[in-house]
Amino acid sequence: MEVAAMAKIFNETEQFNIIGTDYPKVDAEAKVTGRGKFAGDINLPGQLWCKFLRSPHPHAKILSIDTSAAEKMPGVKAVITGKDMTGEMLGCVEIDKATADKTPLAIDKVRYIGDEVAAVAAVSEAAAQKACEAIQVEYELLPAYFTPEEAMKGDCPIHAGMEKQFDYLGYDVPEKNINQYNIVEAGDVDKAFAEADYTDSHVYQTQRISHAAIEPHACIAKYENKEYTIWTSTQSAYLVRYWIAHALSVPENTIRVIKPLVGGGFGGKLDVFPHEACCCILAQKTGHPVKCVLTREEVFTSTRVRHPITIIIESAFKKDGTLLAKKCRHYLDAGAYGGTGKPANALSIIWENLPYKIPNIRMEAWRVYTNNPVGGAMRGYTSCQVHFASDCHMDEAARDLGIDPVEFRKINAVEKGYKTASGLKVTSCAMKDNLDAAAEKIGWQKQKGHLGKGEGIGFSASGFISGTGYAVLTTPANCSNFTICRLDRRNSATIYSGANDIGQGLDTVVTVVAAEELGLHEEQVKICMADTNLSPFDTGTLGSRGTFLAGNGARRAAADAARQLKETVSAKLGVPVDQLTLKDCRIFKKDDPEIGMCWHDAVWTYEEEHDGEGIIGKGHYSHNDTGDEYDGFCKGNYAPSYSFSTGAAKVKVDEETGAVDISDFVFAHDCGRPLNRRAVEGQVEGSVQMGLGYALYEDVIIKDGKVINPSFRDYRFPTALDMPEIQTIFCGDPDPVGPFGAKECGEGSTAPVAPAIANAIADATGICFNKIPINPEALWRALKEKNKK
Amino acid sequence: MKHILTFTLNGELVQALTDDNETLLDFLRNDRNLTGTKKGCEEGECGACTVLIDDDPVTSCLILAREVEGKNVTTIEGLGKDGKLDPLQQAFIDKWALQCGYCTPGMIMSAKALLDHNPHPSEHEIRDAIAGNLCRCTGYAKIVEAIDSVAKEYGGGSDGKNIQ
Repeated sequence: MEVAAMAKIFNETEQFNIIGTDYPKVDAEAKVTGRGKFAGDINLPGQLWCKFLRSPHPHAKILSIDTSAAEKMPGVKAVITGKDMTGEMLGCVEIDKATADKTPLAIDKVRYIGDEVAAVAAVSEAAAQKACEAIQVEYELLPAYFTPEEAMKGDCPIHAGMEKQFDYLGYDVPEKNINQYNIVEAGDVDKAFAEADYTDSHVYQTQRISHAAIEPHACIAKYENKEYTIWTSTQSAYLVRYWIAHALSVPENTIRVIKPLVGGGFGGKLDVFPHEACCCILAQKTGHPVKCVLTREEVFTSTRVRHPITIIIESAFKKDGTLLAKKCRHYLDAGAYGGTGKPANALSIIWENLPYKIPNIRMEAWRVYTNNPVGGAMRGYTSCQVHFASDCHMDEAARDLGIDPVEFRKINAVEKGYKTASGLKVTSCAMKDNLDAAAEKIGWQKQKGHLGKGEGIGFSASGFISGTGYAVLTTPANCSNFTICRLDRRNSATIYSGANDIGQGLDTVVTVVAAEELGLHEEQVKICMADTNLSPFDTGTLGSRGTFLAGNGARRAAADAARQLKETVSAKLGVPVDQLTLKDCRIFKKDDPEIGMCWHDAVWTYEEEHDGEGIIGKGHYSHNDTGDEYDGFCKGNYAPSYSFSTGAAKVKVDEETGAVDISDFVFAHDCGRPLNRRAVEGQVEGSVQMGLGYALYEDVIIKDGKVINPSFRDYRFPTALDMPEIQTIFCGDPDPVGPFGAKECGEGSTAPVAPAIANAIADATGICFNKIPINPEALWRALKEKNKK
Repeated sequence: MKHILTFTLNGELVQALTDDNETLLDFLRNDRNLTGTKKGCEEGECGACTVLIDDDPVTSCLILAREVEGKNVTTIEGLGKDGKLDPLQQAFIDKWALQCGYCTPGMIMSAKALLDHNPHPSEHEIRDAIAGNLCRCTGYAKIVEAIDSVAKEYGGGSDGKNIQ
């Protein structure tokens, strides 16, 4: 339905009962008492434990596997290997079946250290682990590639036969081991460069980091009555159902996926993993429920990481600071497989088009298979890498042109109504307000030029999609939310939604959005979420679509149910429908609240009049305005809305040690209308934490394909003692399409953190870092180098 | 080898069989079904498995079950009385001091140990007390606020230990 038509059926939109108030998180009590169940907390009678034998080699042929000793060990119930696989793959999105590239267990060859070779089900974790160690595998080593440069020249294909799958629109890509190639072009780049007053070119490099959700990946599966049921720590129950069915070659209707509480995802639980498929296979084979909880080391080595990217940017400006053109090339280290890492490629060049106006563009990206751990979706989905590069680049250009960095960004900032050269349509935008607010709060005008030794202030700006991944996921049905709302006589409603809460609070969003629309209290709305047998389709928690799509779906479902309730009351009391409203479990005349019916009587009346039929509301949302230039990948309007963020950091650099102290961090955020201020602040504070670690020290270090720091002892991320005070400022107006005006928060907000810190360090030291993390050693070495000159 | 273990768990005397090499964490989760105590790293770095042993915070993945013989162990399930939440639990709800909630039980146990020993902590003391509890979601700001609010409301009562 059109937005305008939809708006007519919504309840009062400007006088909220719940939205914007201080309501609690709906799952908070379960979490503070320890009663809430995460996947690893679920125990079923008779359950077995699953463990994996993983490849010790980065690239090798499997010549033979001998499981006979393992099978005879005490407590072992089943051992499976590549020969138990159907040959079908796990992949990214449903429509991308042809390019899926990972069998749950390796067949014939392994492609990175940690690749799954065999799985054991046994009566205890220890027995399963021992059995894995007793499996004998004979390998023949193959040449291995650990950087995109090596792999693009390498003669030994990591995935034979996959080379040409990206070949579209007539572009010829001669390099080898390419998993994905994308390009977006608009305007006349060469002319713009020729006419520019100032051009600049830099190479940036970002590192590999871990999502490091505190809950390790876990699942438990059972097989009963020809149906697999799996409780799994995932960001998309429906994706798990699709890919497990595909990999096992069984009908999708034989698989039920239930998402319990999820202990953080950040993109790392979006892929469908071998442990999920293998627990299903082993449950069927043994007749027992089978459970798997990955170790922290396995999470580091064998799930997903943030892609390291080499980013080459060339840009052209007028003297007055106007950005005329931008060329860039991105080389993503894919690691050994595709999965949710594939869309990262196209997305990386989409991000280059925000948050500044750039009329002329040529942007290319290559996602290159290597024999490293696998790159996947991660909070910001390559915008963190790209905005680090592009916003450090902007600061350098501002310095060279002698323009204040805040002014410089405002000169180029996108505005409401702007359409990027790549086709993104900006419908609401407070980028300039963000910049002004952040500069004022951190005291830029007062402190500029008066900072002490080693002190610096840095700014950054970023934009992010809010609502979907349409251009990459191709059809609305692949990235939609459908919600059902059932009314009950007992002053309550139940919402059935496939939306996947992963800790960020989506269950709460769906609850309060529906309650607001129905005039119920928060606790009167019950939810039935992310269970593929009970809740309707939802793509999953990805692309900052949770609040936008599931919130819109829930609001529409509730509005559809409320409409039926109002029509019932209208007919009974003779009051026109448009004069009725819902509040505090009553349906009444707006200007004469005495005239109305209580919730119970209204629902009862409907059921009486319809021979016992109850009220069901339906609601759905998907973004379907891709624009005329939509090309299936990079060009077109990728989302219904965009969020905008500004980071401002004040740092003090210890020149003796190279340590950086962040004394102040201001975050100005245009996320539309915050549905709950504390929830949004929490998202921002978490984003700053993740961005700070990314900027200053987090690094999954690889040596010859092996992760050498796969533990929280050796991989450090910010603790309570490392975090500065964060001041969050909300800017912008309610979004015209977002549920109650909300846009995304929490994902795009990670992107401006690293460049703000890097720019502050540059302000403090005069050194522009083109590589993160800027750890004390890197900074100390750079200072030493600078002082030599 | 099996070992008979006798200790007090959440105020009740428990006698149970444990394997000699079983960690307290696995014993609590697998043998007692007390899954509020979480497993995050199994090397004492993340703090998700924090419990109180005789009022001190301990990462239960790093000690064996048999080491708590005769001791007093409190897990998240042992907080709150008669169906009422502990003030710390309520404060975590009120302040939105959690998102995914996986670190929350361990975080609350560390906070409880702090306030039991030091009813008037400074912000730095609060941060120091939870520095061994990793949280990847919140940036800690609201956790610190929640603990501070409890200290302000209840801290320094007559016995200095009235956080029940």
